[in-house]
This record gives sequence, structure tokens and C-alpha cells, in this order.
Amino acid sequence: MDTNLLQNRIKKGIKEWLEVLPYIAIGLILVFVFVFYPLFKNFYISVTEYTIIPGAESPFVGIENYKQIFNDDKFYYAFRNSVLMVLVTVPTQIIFGVVLAYIIDNARKGKTFFKTAYYIPVITSWIVVSYIFKYIFAGGKGGFMNYILMNLHIISEPIGWFQNTWTALAVTWILSIWKGIGWCMIIYIAGLQGIPKMLYESAALDGASEYQKFRFITIPQLAPITFFILINLTIGAFNSFIQTYILTNGAPMNTTHVMMSLMYARAFQNFEFGIASAMGVLQGAVILCIIIFQKWVIKKSER
Amino acid sequence: MKRIVTLLVMMTLLASTLAGCKGDEGAEKTGNATDSTKAKSESLLFWHTYSDAEEQVFLEQVMPQFEELYPNVDVEVVRMPYDGLKQQLITSIAGGVAPDVMRMDIIWVPEFANMGALEKVSDKNGFEAIKNNVFEGPLNTTFYQGEYYGLPLNTNTKIAIYNKQLLDSISAEAPTTFDELIDLSRQLKGQDDVWGIGLSGTHAWGMPPYFWSLGGRITNDDYSKASGFINSPESVSALETIVALNDEGLIGPCILGEEPGTWGGMEANNYLMIDDGPWYFSMQREAGIEDLVVPELFPAGSAGSHSIIGGEDVVMFSSSKAKDAAWNFMSFLLSEETQVTMGGTGLIPALKSAANNEAFSNDPINSIYVKQLETAYPRTPHYKWEKISEEFQLTFEMAIRKEGEPQVLLDELAVRLDSILSE
Repeated sequence: MDTNLLQNRIKKGIKEWLEVLPYIAIGLILVFVFVFYPLFKNFYISVTEYTIIPGAESPFVGIENYKQIFNDDKFYYAFRNSVLMVLVTVPTQIIFGVVLAYIIDNARKGKTFFKTAYYIPVITSWIVVSYIFKYIFAGGKGGFMNYILMNLHIISEPIGWFQNTWTALAVTWILSIWKGIGWCMIIYIAGLQGIPKMLYESAALDGASEYQKFRFITIPQLAPITFFILINLTIGAFNSFIQTYILTNGAPMNTTHVMMSLMYARAFQNFEFGIASAMGVLQGAVILCIIIFQKWVIKKSER
Repeated sequence: MKRIVTLLVMMTLLASTLAGCKGDEGAEKTGNATDSTKAKSESLLFWHTYSDAEEQVFLEQVMPQFEELYPNVDVEVVRMPYDGLKQQLITSIAGGVAPDVMRMDIIWVPEFANMGALEKVSDKNGFEAIKNNVFEGPLNTTFYQGEYYGLPLNTNTKIAIYNKQLLDSISAEAPTTFDELIDLSRQLKGQDDVWGIGLSGTHAWGMPPYFWSLGGRITNDDYSKASGFINSPESVSALETIVALNDEGLIGPCILGEEPGTWGGMEANNYLMIDDGPWYFSMQREAGIEDLVVPELFPAGSAGSHSIIGGEDVVMFSSSKAKDAAWNFMSFLLSEETQVTMGGTGLIPALKSAANNEAFSNDPINSIYVKQLETAYPRTPHYKWEKISEEFQLTFEMAIRKEGEPQVLLDELAVRLDSILSE
């Protein structure tokens, strides 16, 4: 390799960088301030017994915080619930989303109305809808849902929705699904526009039924979009926090925490910032693994 | 040229973005002190959680007196919401914008003292005099590792509150012992949606009065050991009694956080008895609550009538820049006149002379609370209180839900509490 050539390339590279720097400097600085710095600081906090008082000592404890996490039943419940949140809500949202999108896309009237109706929950604040669900599923005979179910004679005694692990979890799932369907639907509608009409026409010539068209043309054609939605929803569901925090905050007996709400409780109710940060590191690692796994599955299926 | 302009614009944008992240420490404290006609030399930020009625009295009657006494000190009085207050306080301490003085729940004091956030007041001028004039129970809530980190401001406890209409329906008087209460609860059992006991929850604020009165103990007297106390035969039998009462359907669903809640249940005649603090009366005085309920001492069990001590302390933060002014303000809040004035809202004074002042003690409801305080116990004053209360609630909830035998559950709890207490 000619050294002159290398020098020239480096010079040219530096020059190019300098030229674009003004345009990307802001982005770079912001990424460092709001992404990289918190990331490394979080890792640092997770290996210390962190005190938040300015100027106080935060002794280094190595992996002690991580050990503590695994010695705690609450963590296993929270991990289970986060995984369940993904397993229950993600497939449901995708199935409902694609079916709704297909129906709306093929509707003759009222497309805009239905799109809007299903999209409203998405743009409504999590906090607002969480409180609404809290009222709907209030306990006792005066609770809205209990009142309806009792009048329909589906149940004879009022259900204490938030006092039992599985009903409480079910409410958080229902809320998450109801709020997420609209988003899937909008993305899928966009995806449906991109499927060539030709395919449907030739399928019709071959005598394919509506179901067969949907099954063998629409779904495979939407695969890349499904992958995009799958990744987004998985991360979203694993990071769900507000619905659990407002609806149950772990009750009953810390069995309904998800990872994020437990982390919050650790940090801001028990002041165990080291442990909370360690949970954050684990959370990030888990999500990374999920995404790598999903990518690998998709790659395999494409072959 | 063009590029330089772009660069300048970018830099300005960036500078303004970053400036937004840096909290302006001064802005917090200037508040309404911009009135340059009063050349105030010192300013204090005071956080409190007084209720509507209490805040009105504080601002209209107490503060003007302080301004007269210390014309050069400007106090900014900020009412804080109790929800999420701890988180807000933590954030403000971490960010260096903590208040100078705060009226704080007694149970938080050891925790913040342990963090190093509070200023110790044991060596302050005039502390000894105040120390000798306040009630011992409330005073001990400010004690942490041999030093005092605040002053008791007001205290409270819970008493039994009985539903007049339900008592009349079985033509009974308000019970004074646990056995009578159980007996009346059984008589009411036939009525639809009526329970004898509205126990507010399995948490460490709801359970202890019942647990203690029935003979239970949580720790030894100096709060260093739980084994042999929380799992003693008396404690186990106390918990077994509560579980049995719940199984029999004498305790309302509110014990597990279900509807009806204690206040709503009292209003709708679902509960014969609930227990609550003085705020129950001060917040519902206008609704004519005193004609609907009968206040009474907590029913006496095998160990007597033992309720739980609550209340607020006033503390100073070590980050305060005006410690002398802050101490003057704290001392002022402990003066007899201030204590009596605030006592008028139903807050029980921590100062003995104010609690015995006729203006306060002549009120029939106040006198029941003061009498109940004589036998009330404090919660475990420990900087890990949050953890203790979490463990306590978990165990008691499991017992109520029949997720284990009281003896086994309390044995396990004893081990866990011991390890927390020895930290």
C-alpha cells in the first residue's frame, strides 16, 4: 500500500468529516448527552451502592446488585409478567390489526370513520386510559364492569378485578391490546396499498376464494411489515410501565409487577438505585436477545 | 458564508437546548420575593402537606405572626401533593433544590436522616427547652443514631368510629371491648352487605391497632429484634383471631382493598366500625359527620386498647443556605400560640402545654384522640421502614388470603425483619 495514497485518503476523510460536521453536530451531541452518557452512567450505577445525595460516597460493590435481584421472588414474578405481556398482547394486536386493516381496506363506505375510531385510543394518553380502565374495572357492586356482568347474569358475585393476580393481569392486557390495535391497523393499511392488484386479479382468475387470497397473497406480502410491527410491539410490551403502575402497582402481593414497574418501585420507593439500574441493564440485554432471535427467525424463514 | 451562518444557527439551537436541561437553582427560591420594597435579607422555602382547611389557618393566622417577628425573613410556603411526594423530594435533593424546611411524615425522618439529607438539631440554640416540652412519643420519631433530626410538629392516632344507624338497628351502645364488637358484628351478619369491622387494609398502618390490641408485638422495645416478638404465641394467636374473623365474614372486603372502602362503607351503612385519624372529622365537619357516627376508644382486646401513632415532624435539610432562619422558623412553629392555632383544625399539638390548653382539649373528639395517644404505639422507627412495612403487609395479606398458616408466615417474617433491623 502506498503511504502517500493512505495519507491522501485520511486527509480527504477528515476534510469530508469537517464539511458535514456542522450538519450532524447537533444530532451527535444530543445522542451523546441523552443516549450514551445515561447508558454508561446507568451501567456505573448498577455496580455501586448508589447514593443520590450530592457529594456523598457511592461505594463500588461489583455484581452484588445483580445477585440481589436474583435472590428476590418479586423479580421472577415481574419477569414472568413482562414475558406474558409480550406473549399475550403482541400476537393479539397483530391478528386484530391485520384483519381490521383488510376489512377497512376493502370497505366501500366509512373508511375514514373506522380508521379514526380505531386510532383514537392510540393517540390518547396512557395515563388517561389507564384511569378510565381503573374505573371501568372498579371492584364491588358499583363497579361498571361488575354491574354489567351481574345484570347479564354472567357472574353472581362482584369480581375484585385488581385484588386477584390473574384478573388484574388480564385487565392490563386488555388495556394494552385495545390501545395498540389501532397502530397496527394503520401500518397494515399502508402496507396493503403496496400489494400489486395484479396478484389478486390473477388469483381470482384461478378461482381463489376470498380467504385463500387473504391467506396466500396478503399475509406473505405483508411479511416485512409484520416484522417491523413485531419488533416494535415486542419492545413496547416488554417496556410497558404506565398501565401496570396505575392499575395495580404490583398488588396483590407484588405478583402483578412488570419489569419496569418493579424497577421504578426499587428506585423511587426503596431508594435502591443500584439494584434498579442493574435491572435496567438486564432488561436491555433481554430485549437485545429477543431482537437478535427475531431477526434470525425471519432470515431463516425467508430462505 | 452560508455555512458559517448555518453553523451559528445550529450552535444557538444547541445552546438553548442544553440550557433547558440545567435547572435554574435560583428560580425556585425567588418566588414572590421580587417585591423590592421589602428588602428581605433571607428567604426560606417551606414545603408542607396541610389540608385545605389547615392551610387556610396556617396562611391567614400563623404566617402573619412570623412575618411580624422576623420581618427580614421571607418564607415561601408551598403546599405539596402527598401523592408521589417522596419521589419529588428525592429528585429535588439530588438536584440540589431541596426545600429549607419541610413538614414531613414522621416515618420518613429516619430514612432521610440516614441519607444525610437532614440537618441535626440536637445542638441548636433552644433545642433542649423544646425537647422538654413536647410529648416523648412524637419526639422519638426524630431520633436517629443518637441525634435529633427535627422537631415533632403535630401528632395523631386512630380511634374507633361507629355507625350510629347500625348501632340503632340492633339497639346497642358503641362497644368498648373486642368481644363486644365481635358479638355486635355477629348480630349484624344477617343484614345484606353489612360487615362489623371495616379494617382499612393489611398494610402497616391498618393492621397494627388490631394486632397490638389482640396481644401481638412486632419488635422488642428498642426495635432491634423481631424474632420472639412478631412470632410469639401471643402474636400468632392475634393474627389467627383476625384471620378467623375474616373467614367468618365479620370483616369487610376493604381489608383486601376491595369495595366498599372504609369511608364509603361508613357513609352507605356497610360497616359498623372503621378506625381513622382526626382528619376523618375535620374533613367532613360540614357534612354533619358528628351526628352520623360515634367516636370511641379503640376496642380493648386481651392486651388493652392500642392504636398507632402517626403525625408530622418539621425538619431542616442539610443543603439549606439559611440555617439560622430555618431554625427560627422551626422554633416558631413549636411555640404554644402556633401549636394552639393549628390545633384548632384538629391537628393534635406535639407541645404538651398546647395539647392541654383548653382551646384544644375541650373539644370532645380531640379529647378521645389525646386519651387514645396515651396507649398508642409508634411504628418501627428505622431507616429501612419502607422495606419493613412491605414485608409486614405481604405476610399479613398472605395470612388473610389463606396462602399460609399464621405461625409459619410469622416465623418467616421474623427472620426477614431481623435481617433488616440488623443492617
